[in-house]
Amino acid sequence: MTGNFEDPRKTFGKAVSDYALAHEDVILLSADSGKSSGFGDFMKEAPERYLEFGIMEQCVTGVASGLACSGKRPVFCAIAPFVTARNFEMFRNDVGYMGQNVKIVGRNGGITYSDLGATHHSLDDFSIIGMIPGVCVLCPQDPNEIRQAVITMMEHDGPVYMRIGNEPVENLFEEEPFVIGKGRRIAEGKDVTIISTGTLTGSVIKALPLLKEKGVSADVIGMPTICPLDEELILDSVEKTARVVTVEEHYIKGGLGTAVSDLLSERSPALVKKLGIPHDYATSGPYKEILKKYGLDEKSIADSVLNFLGIDI
Amino acid sequence: MTEKEIASLNAAATRCRLNILRMIRASGHGHVGGALSAMDMVAALYFYKLNVDPSDPAKEDRDRFVLSAGHKCLCQYAALAEKGFFEKSVLDTYGSLGSPIPGHPDMHKLPGVEANTGALGHGLAISLGMALAQKIDGKNARTYTLLGDGELAEGSNWEAAAAAAHHKVDNLTAIVDYNGLQISGPVKEVMDLTPISDHFRAFGWAVRDIDGNNMNEITDALDALPFEKGKPSCIVAHTVKAKGLSFGEGNVSYHFWNAKEDQLMQAEEELNALLEDYEKEAGS
Repeated sequence: MTGNFEDPRKTFGKAVSDYALAHEDVILLSADSGKSSGFGDFMKEAPERYLEFGIMEQCVTGVASGLACSGKRPVFCAIAPFVTARNFEMFRNDVGYMGQNVKIVGRNGGITYSDLGATHHSLDDFSIIGMIPGVCVLCPQDPNEIRQAVITMMEHDGPVYMRIGNEPVENLFEEEPFVIGKGRRIAEGKDVTIISTGTLTGSVIKALPLLKEKGVSADVIGMPTICPLDEELILDSVEKTARVVTVEEHYIKGGLGTAVSDLLSERSPALVKKLGIPHDYATSGPYKEILKKYGLDEKSIADSVLNFLGIDI
Repeated sequence: MTEKEIASLNAAATRCRLNILRMIRASGHGHVGGALSAMDMVAALYFYKLNVDPSDPAKEDRDRFVLSAGHKCLCQYAALAEKGFFEKSVLDTYGSLGSPIPGHPDMHKLPGVEANTGALGHGLAISLGMALAQKIDGKNARTYTLLGDGELAEGSNWEAAAAAAHHKVDNLTAIVDYNGLQISGPVKEVMDLTPISDHFRAFGWAVRDIDGNNMNEITDALDALPFEKGKPSCIVAHTVKAKGLSFGEGNVSYHFWNAKEDQLMQAEEELNALLEDYEKEAGS
């Protein structure tokens, strides 16, 4: 934990813009979403490679595919549910099935558009986009990871979906190259494996001292790639602990926890406790209060782990 | 265009129609109604207009053709085979397991196919992206897409129509195969989007109505592109469903045809006779 917070949209927008300015085949696409995605400076510096479409996410996804068919590398960023659920068939057919080199980024992801309500939450994006064969699903955990994930996403030859939030995010890790499909072991332990993704990894790290107070030694894995999953890292950890808690800002159905459970049920059966948003239309309100309501703040996470292990709180 | 040149294109379109029958003979069924109504325009594109090369299907400065109404794929397969993109024996695999010519086109399986279409309302946006890329790269190339008239009810088409006009993509041409019939009946009864031309005009397109089964009118329209500088062009092609099947023309039952042997034989005989006439006229 560094105490250094950044706005993930600005971090993302700058990283993409810097990359795009250095690579002429990159085209930035906006569905009335470019400025809020941090593309404001790029619009001025390379207007010929910034295309505005207004609010038509289905069309933009198809256009991105057509551009990629012609050797361009389009990046389309808008509010997460509108670039995943709204345009799902275009994502599946035009990007996934056609195997095009398109980068789609859902910002204000998860429940970070908290008070705007369920229409603006994206709690199913890992699930629905993860179902599209050949699409990588990324959810970086801190600003340094966002910066590096952008570079790796752009260099990856194939379709990628990345989710970022909009609440200020604390830097957790040193900046180092991002590898798709690789998790990071944050703490070594033997009693339980905790696997988290996105910015909730920061909450898991903050929960660790609370667990330690109760004598729990947790093996902690940060998982910034949902698809493909770092199976070996998970199996290696579960071999020691045999018990797993997953933590994500996503429905408990269909997300990281489900992917981990699917893996373990075939390869290394273990009890899995999935922490996330219940399968319902989430409430609106201040972001931190919603997280607390659904047990995703650091204290609630620690309590859930202790309960799972049968330890008195 | 001389009369001989027109006859030569009509002969090519007739050979393509025979290729469609060959595929139907292989599988026993298929979406022939729209494939046959669109066949003259698709033949004109491949044999008259498109800058494409069967020996180099991915050449960089090529024109692009996207069959947005992917269920009409028989007409594209027929033309690609006739043009030499693949061996005609492939036509005999239509309907078989793992065929490179499935019921909707797959760009990964067949050279010359530019997009995986089938779900309606996708092709115009994909084509817009291709046309934008051609413009950004300063290429003197065009992108064409063929839409069904029933397909126009998909709202995504109108997103793309607005965007193409907004960005002044005048190297993009949409051809609407206006045969007036969709699977449930007349398009006007299912979802009336007439007048189609006025809809596109209102979205900022330059539009021309033609007889889409008349090679003179088709080639005239293709030669006049873009109809207006700074605007995307739309050809509203008035066609006859199942054109070329004497017993099925204008009949919605032939949208999807489960062919009987006697019908196939009759159709082959009639088209072969027509082909002979066109070839004679063309002097070949």
